Amino acid sequence: MLLQTEHVSKEFNGIYALRDINFQLDAGEIHGLVGENGAGKSTLIKLLTGVYQLREGRLLWNGQPATISSPADSRALGIRVIHQDRTLILTFNGIENCFLGLEYPTRLGRVDWGAMERRVRQTMEGLGIDLDLKKTAAELSPPQRTELEIVRAMMTDCRLLILDEPTASLTDQETDRLFRLLRNLREKGTSILYVTHRLDEIFLLTDRVTVLRNGQLVETVPTGSVTREQLIAKMTEQTAVEPICRRESFGPVLLEARNIASRDGRVKQGSFSLRSGEILGLFGLGGSGRTELLECIFGCRAITGGTVLLDGKECPGRTPEVSIRSGMVLISEDRRGKAVIGNLSVRDNILLSSIDTFSRRGVLQTKEGNGAVAKQIDALHIKLADPGQRMLELSGGNQQKAVFARALMTSPRIFLCDEPTQAVDVGTRGEIHRLLRQKADEGAGVLYVSSDLKELLEVADNILIMVQGRTRSCWRNRDLTSQQVLACCYEDQEKEVWP
Amino acid sequence: MNRLAPRKILQSYGTILALVVIVLVFSLARPDKFCTLTNFINITRQISLLVMISLGTTLVMSVNEFDLSVGSMASLGGVMAALLAVKGLPMTVCFALPAVISFFIGLLNGWIVARFRVLSFITTLGMSTVLSGVIYQLSGGATIFEGIPKSFSFLGTAKLGRIPLLSILMVAFVVLFWFLLEHTTLGRKFYAIGGNEETAKIAGIRVRKYKTIAFALCAVMACVTGMLIASRVGSANTTAGDGYFLQSYAAVFIGCTVSRKGIPNAAGTLVGAAILGILANGLTILQMPSYMQNIITGGIIILAVIAQRAGHGDAA
Repeated sequence: MLLQTEHVSKEFNGIYALRDINFQLDAGEIHGLVGENGAGKSTLIKLLTGVYQLREGRLLWNGQPATISSPADSRALGIRVIHQDRTLILTFNGIENCFLGLEYPTRLGRVDWGAMERRVRQTMEGLGIDLDLKKTAAELSPPQRTELEIVRAMMTDCRLLILDEPTASLTDQETDRLFRLLRNLREKGTSILYVTHRLDEIFLLTDRVTVLRNGQLVETVPTGSVTREQLIAKMTEQTAVEPICRRESFGPVLLEARNIASRDGRVKQGSFSLRSGEILGLFGLGGSGRTELLECIFGCRAITGGTVLLDGKECPGRTPEVSIRSGMVLISEDRRGKAVIGNLSVRDNILLSSIDTFSRRGVLQTKEGNGAVAKQIDALHIKLADPGQRMLELSGGNQQKAVFARALMTSPRIFLCDEPTQAVDVGTRGEIHRLLRQKADEGAGVLYVSSDLKELLEVADNILIMVQGRTRSCWRNRDLTSQQVLACCYEDQEKEVWP
Repeated sequence: MNRLAPRKILQSYGTILALVVIVLVFSLARPDKFCTLTNFINITRQISLLVMISLGTTLVMSVNEFDLSVGSMASLGGVMAALLAVKGLPMTVCFALPAVISFFIGLLNGWIVARFRVLSFITTLGMSTVLSGVIYQLSGGATIFEGIPKSFSFLGTAKLGRIPLLSILMVAFVVLFWFLLEHTTLGRKFYAIGGNEETAKIAGIRVRKYKTIAFALCAVMACVTGMLIASRVGSANTTAGDGYFLQSYAAVFIGCTVSRKGIPNAAGTLVGAAILGILANGLTILQMPSYMQNIITGGIIILAVIAQRAGHGDAA
């Protein structure tokens, strides 16, 4: 056995991301790791690669207790990781990239490029990879970059190679090539831990598979002994959540998106319609393009195709400013980066979108503005010492409420909410749900993105599913189980399902 | 909390405290020469030009950009005004036309930076070089002083009683810019963009437009300053504004430390320029050699930037 964890747990602020994990990985096997968003896959990887420090439980490497307290420790054991966001230096060529973190060989005090190239070539030949090493990483295609990363990982003795969603940007043929390469590595005795959302790949590639759910290890089974349905069942809890309150009948269509495609290709085909009174949940696995679809509609991400219709009328030339004026708001997922201005006051933050309505010939009418802000602060129960205090001094939940306050100041009819309850406390979470339901009852439409499926089943009237940049199915949220929704996400063929 | 309090006070009022200490030290050292009404009035005039150019810089820095062309813009302003004066045009035209031209140069700066999302640092450095070339073309590289009418010097030398007109203009501009930044939607939008451009964009603020405006107003202030420099000395030196460029950034950076939020602001810029001006004035009175003046002034600028970063880092 190459690697074994015993009773490993990891907590963040009192919440366990991993609990009592007893994980075993054999030498020379390809081991799949699956689980929903937030099941603990990345936490486990970060523990193995020294990004997080292990505090509870212990780790055995070749049967010997080992400590990994830094990425360097992890490398020294022979663990390499390849992330979905590649970690190559784009302006460096293949040789330089392979030698990142390694000592450059020198001759007479000068870098010995010849020796470096020979060593990289040797590694490449051993793997059966053929790359132009003179090209910079920027000039390589996505699969070539993945191959270069594998070469780099194999430059020194690699015992365990961890791949985190490596095929996200690969085509089928490219994926085949990668798989041949990985099997080849296995023959040479390298163990592979393969993390993916794509169950097909698990069945194609892996020898055994481990399922995580809510931070706990459900089971490790030989891949041949389970079916896809059984695997999905293990990944999800069997409970169907009873929604707080659901609607069956809706008003007219407020917002319609037809075949939206983003310039960067993250959204390939986004279509849906949102009606007055509706909370439409949008679910997708990581990287499925949910956030990007919202940004396309709001006008802060460039689109190359598709139309947005408001009240049935086409609305080209979208910008955030136009969107807000037509009654749309975006609650961004990236609170720190896109939703708050930390060094300005809470008051300034709340006034941001509606500031022009409180101006007379360009002069801010402080009294009126402050009055309106105070009203929102009261209505949303934002806890603060003084509206003049800096935004970053508030707690996460109160910051998020202030973001909602800003949105409400513009009296929106369409809410685009991207993970609105992310990193907020339970109380605030409930308040946000009730607020959105209330707005929907008053005639607004809410598009609600969450990677927490249970939350969506709780709040949404209908659930739209997005897979690999495409919106796929729209389900009525009645007797819907998380298992059904996930099965659709893992389904690879395009299918329209209207239950 | 109590243990932190002195530090908080130092963060909020440290810069003003430093100003007071500097004044006290000079006053004690040379009460006869430094601590006189005449000298204080003198100081206000000495810093007035720096304050005005720095107010423009404050705007550009409030949207989190840099304009490195303020120095050459000021020189160009002086040269243009002087040339127009030599041609015998009415004084209003001599001072208004360059201001209008500078507005468009600033618009161009801002448009390039905002439209192509390029570094303002490099863009305005390029613009600065372009402007130096234009100055040379207009003036032939020589200081313009022949044939400038007496009335050209009015703005730069006139006094109201004992108070120079320049000092009064300075106060007026500080009040104007304070109002602009604190009480107009324009100023609030500048701060929003400077605080977090992405957030501002998603909140519906037209980032490009307002950045461009900031650059345009900055260029106008640089031009106005340059014209007043020329008016004050009665001639236009082709490099008159160069010395003001770094000083203005120093003033704004020191000014940031005055604000609790650590952001550029009009009052802070005035304090920053005052610190620089009083140091120069006092050290001269103490007959400190100019290299010592440079060492002390430069050291204070570096300290101010560190203080600002520390104040920021503590909160973030």
